[in-house]
Amino acid sequence: MTTAKRDLHSVFNRRAILISGGSTVVMGAIVSRLAYLQAENLVTDTYTEEARDNRFDQRIIAPPRGILYDRFGEMLAVTSPDYRVFLIPEQVGLKNLEPTIRRVGEILGLPEDVIVRRLRDARGAKRSDPVIIRAGLRWDEFSAINVRLPELPGVRADASLIRRYPYDIAFAHPIGYVQKPNQAEVDAVIAEGDERRAVYLRNPDVRVGKSGLEASLEKTIHGEAGWRMVQVNAAGRVVDEIGGETREPVPGPGVVMTIDAECQRGAMERMAGMSGSCVVMDIVTGDLVVMASSPGFNPNEFVNGISPSRFRELNEDPYKPLFHKSVTGAYKPGSTFKICTGIAAVEAGLPENFRVNCPGYFPFGGRAFHCWKKGGHGTVDFHAAMKGSCNVFFYQAGLRAGQQRIADTARLLGLGQKYDIGVPSVVPGIVPDEAWWKTKRGNEPFPPGMILNTAIGQGDLLTTPLQLAVMMARVASGGKEVMPRLVREGPGIAPAKEARQLPVSADGIKRVLDGMFGVASEPGGTAFRTMGNLELWYDPATNKVVDAPTAPAGHKQVQVGGKTGTAQVRVITAAERGGGVKRNNDIDWKLRDHALFVCYGPVHNPRYACAIVIEHGGTDEERYPGTVGYIGGGSAAAAPIARDVMRLVLSRDPSAQPPANIATLEAGLRRPQTVKGRA
Amino acid sequence: MTISSMQGRPRGMSERLGRLNWAIITLLCTLAFVGVIMHFSVADGSWAGRPLSHGGRFAVVLALVIGVALLDARMWMAIAYPVYFGALVLLLGVEFMGETRMGATRWLSLGPLSMQPSEIMKIGIVLALARYYHNMDPRNAGTLLWSIPPLLMIAAPVALVMHQPDLGTSMLIAAAGVGIMFLAGLRWRYIIPAGVAAIGGAIAAYFFVLHQYQRDRINTFLNPDADPLGTGYHVAQSKIAIGSAGLFGKGYLQGTQSQGDFLPEKHTDFIFTMIGEEFGLIGAVAVLGMFFVLFLLTMQVSARARTMFGRLAAAGIGLTLALYVFINTSMVIGLIPVVGIPLPLISFGGTAMLTLMTGYAIVLSIDLHRDQSSTRGFLW
Repeated sequence: MTTAKRDLHSVFNRRAILISGGSTVVMGAIVSRLAYLQAENLVTDTYTEEARDNRFDQRIIAPPRGILYDRFGEMLAVTSPDYRVFLIPEQVGLKNLEPTIRRVGEILGLPEDVIVRRLRDARGAKRSDPVIIRAGLRWDEFSAINVRLPELPGVRADASLIRRYPYDIAFAHPIGYVQKPNQAEVDAVIAEGDERRAVYLRNPDVRVGKSGLEASLEKTIHGEAGWRMVQVNAAGRVVDEIGGETREPVPGPGVVMTIDAECQRGAMERMAGMSGSCVVMDIVTGDLVVMASSPGFNPNEFVNGISPSRFRELNEDPYKPLFHKSVTGAYKPGSTFKICTGIAAVEAGLPENFRVNCPGYFPFGGRAFHCWKKGGHGTVDFHAAMKGSCNVFFYQAGLRAGQQRIADTARLLGLGQKYDIGVPSVVPGIVPDEAWWKTKRGNEPFPPGMILNTAIGQGDLLTTPLQLAVMMARVASGGKEVMPRLVREGPGIAPAKEARQLPVSADGIKRVLDGMFGVASEPGGTAFRTMGNLELWYDPATNKVVDAPTAPAGHKQVQVGGKTGTAQVRVITAAERGGGVKRNNDIDWKLRDHALFVCYGPVHNPRYACAIVIEHGGTDEERYPGTVGYIGGGSAAAAPIARDVMRLVLSRDPSAQPPANIATLEAGLRRPQTVKGRA
Repeated sequence: MTISSMQGRPRGMSERLGRLNWAIITLLCTLAFVGVIMHFSVADGSWAGRPLSHGGRFAVVLALVIGVALLDARMWMAIAYPVYFGALVLLLGVEFMGETRMGATRWLSLGPLSMQPSEIMKIGIVLALARYYHNMDPRNAGTLLWSIPPLLMIAAPVALVMHQPDLGTSMLIAAAGVGIMFLAGLRWRYIIPAGVAAIGGAIAAYFFVLHQYQRDRINTFLNPDADPLGTGYHVAQSKIAIGSAGLFGKGYLQGTQSQGDFLPEKHTDFIFTMIGEEFGLIGAVAVLGMFFVLFLLTMQVSARARTMFGRLAAAGIGLTLALYVFINTSMVIGLIPVVGIPLPLISFGGTAMLTLMTGYAIVLSIDLHRDQSSTRGFLW
C-alpha cells in the first residue's frame, strides 16, 4: 500500500468518524424532540386534549316535543317511539345489498316497488350513512327483524322518536305537522349566524313545526336537545357509542288547547265529503271549541316526508284539503252580514216601527237591486226582515246607516282584522269603506251602489269563518270584545282577560238577536225547519241539558238563534235573470254559491257562537257518490251541519266541565325515553 | 465475528453463508418484523392484506439479497456505471413518457413492468461515485477539477428527479452523492465556501429573486403549523399522536389517533407516528436505536473494506439509510417539512424496501468479500 493510499484511507476514516458523529447528533436531536413533545404534553396536556377532541363527537339527541292536549287532556299530538330498520351500505357490502334488502322485505312483507326504491336509495347513499328501509314498524315486525339481525350483517333496528297525531285528519289544520327542516330554513339560520342551530337542524332526527300550532309554538314546545359523546374515526363514523358523556334531552312542555276533541271530530265527520269550515267559540272566554276545516289531511303522512306524488294529489285537489279554510278562506258573508247592517242601522236611529215593503226588488241609481225572494216579502219590519232575510229591507237600513257606520260596526264586531291565535296564514278579509276604496282605486269616485251590496254581505266584503264566529260571539255576548284563542294553558300563554264592552248599540244587538231567534226558532224563519227543534232539553233549575226526542218533565227546550247566508260565487247577469236564474244543481260545482250559517246558543243562557261555511253549497255527487246532492244556500246546506254540531256542543257543554290542568297532566306522565342505539 | 476469525477467502457455500454479516441481517429482519406488527395494527388487528404482504415480500427479497450477497463483490464495481447510466436514461424516459400518478410523474411503464427509475438511481449514484473514486490518485481526489465529474453525476439525476417533482428523493440522491464526495476526501477549502455560497445564494434568492406568492409557498412549507387543516394537517395529527402517547404509549392496537383514522398515511410515511403512539417514547427510541445500530454496523463494514470502492459504496448505502430514517422521523415529528420519504423496511411499499435491500445486498457482499489482509478495522 502506497503512502498516498494510506493517506486517502486515513482521510476516509476521519471523515467516516465525522459522519457517524454527525449522525449521532441528528439522532440525539430527534430523540430530544420526541421527548420534548411528551414533556410539553405533560405540562400542558395539549396533545391529550386534542386527541380526545378528535376522537369524540357530539351526537345530538332530539328532545321529545311537548304534547298538545285538548281542553280535557286528550292527547292530540304526541311523541312516541318509532321502530325502524335500516342498513349501513358499507357494512352490508355492495354485493350483498340486494339480497339483504330483499330478505328484510320478505320478513316485513314489503311490496316490490318499495324494495326497488330502497335498493336505489342504498346504492345512491354515502356508504357510511344509514339508509332507512322502513320506519314506523309495528312491535311484532320490529321483533321479527331483531331476532334475525345476526343473519343480516349491516342491518340494524332501533327506536327513535316520532311525532304522531292520533286523531289523523281531525286536527290537521289547527295543529299542523312537523317535518325535517328544509335547506332554505337551514340557510336562513346560517344567515342569522347561528351556526350551532344550523348543525342541530341538519340532524336527521330533528323535526320542526311546519304549520299550525306546531309551527307557532315551535320555540315553546320543542324542548332542549341532549347530546351524547361518541367515539368516532376521522371520517366521522361512530366506532363506539358506549361510555361517552351524555346529557339527556329535556322534553318540551305540554300545551292545553281550547278545542274539545269530541266536538272537533264530530264536526269533521259531519263535514266529510264537503269543502268547508266550522268554528265554534265560547262567547265568554273566546275559547275555540271547534275549529274544523274540511276536507282534512293526515298530518302523519308528512312527518317522515310525504312523497311528491301524494303531495301533488293533495295540493291539486279542488276541495283544497291543505288549505286552512277557517282562517285562510275568505268568503262573502252573504246575509249573515245583515247582523252588522242591522246593528249599524239601529245605531243610526232606525225607528222601532220602521217598515219596508218588499216587491222583490229595489230601484236605485237607475238599476234594480234584487231580493232573493222573487215575489218579494211584502211589508216587513226589522224582526220579519231578519227572519225572512229580506234584502230590500236591509238595502234601506243600509242606506240609513251609511257605508262608514256599517264598516265601523263590522270592524268592532271583529271583521276585517287578523287574529293571532297561533296558526299561520291568517287573512284579514275586507271591510270596504271609503278609505279602503281610496287605497284600492285611488281617485275614482266612490260608487254609490256599493252600500247596497255591502248591506246584504255581497260585493267586496270578505270574511273568514273565524271572523264570523267572532262576530257572532261578540253580538251574542251583548257587545263584549271577545278574543278568540286556541291555546288555554302553556308556557308563556296569558290567561284569558275579561272582555271589555264594545261601543256598539245595545239596542241594535237586542233587536238583531231577537231577529236571529226568529230565524232559527220561530216558524217561518229561514232556518226554523232545521234548527227549530234540536231535541235538546234543559232543566231550568240546573241548566243540565238532556238529549231526548221529547221534553222530559219539567224541562224546557234548548233554543238557538241564527242567520243564514248565501255568498254568490258568480255574478248573476240580467239576461240570466230574465230567463230564470239557473238552478244551482245544473251548474258546475265550482261556480255554485257558498252556503253560510252563523248561530249562537242556548238562547236562555248564551255560551257558544258558531260559524259555518260550506263551499259551493254542498257535496259534489261525482266526487263523493252516495252523499246528499246539492241542496241550496245557507238554510239548506249549512244549517243542517250547524244543527248537528250545535247539538253536540250544547249537550256536551264543554265550557261547563272542568278543564284539564297542565300540571296534573304532565305530572303523572311517563315521557317516552330516547332509546339508546344499538338494537 | 471477530477479526481473527476471518481468515482467507470464503470458499464453500455453507462457509460463505456462515461468514455473512448476520448481525446486519438480524437487524434487517427485526425492523421488517416491526413493520409487520405495525401493519397488523393499521389493519385493525387483521393479518389479511398488508401485514402478510409486507412480511412475505420481505422474506422473498431477503432470500434474493442473501443469494446476491454471496456473489463476488467485484461484480458490483463492474456494473456500477451501467446501472448509473441506465437509470439516467430511464429518468429521461420518465421525463418524456412517464406516467403521472397523484400529481407527480415518477413512473415508467415498460410493457407489463411499472417502475420508478429514481429508486434505481439511489443505488446507482452510490455505485457510480464509489466506482469513480476507486483507484483514483489520492492527490487528485480532493481537488476541484476532479470534483467536477462527480458533481455533474449528482446534478443530472437530481435535476431530473426534482422536475418530476419529487423533492424528497432528489434530496436523498444529492445528500448521498455529496456525502460520498466528502468521504472521498473533498478538501475543506472547497467544502466551506461551497456551503456558505449555497446558503447565501438561497437566502438572496428568497429575498431578491422570488415573487411574493413563491415566498408564501415556501413559508407554509417551512412552517406547517400555520395551516393546521391544510398542509399542516398530517404533522399536527402526528404531533398529537406522539405527544399524547406518554413514555410507554397507549398500547399495541390502542392508538386512538391511528385507530380512528385521524392519522393519514399511517401505513406509509407516518408509520413512525403510530409506533410512537402505541409504544410511546420507549418504543420510538428503540426503533430509532435499531436503525442507528444498523447504520453503525454498515459504517463498520465500510471501514473494514480493503478497496476504496467497497468503503465508499458501503458508506454510501449506510448514509442513504441514515438519511431515510432521519428525514422520515424528523418530518413526522415536525422538525422538517413533509417531503414524502418512507421509513425503510417498516413503511408499506415494495419499491423503497427493494431499493434499500439491494443496497444491503451490496453491503453484505462487500463485507463477505473484504480482503483478509485488510485489518484497518480501527474503529471497532
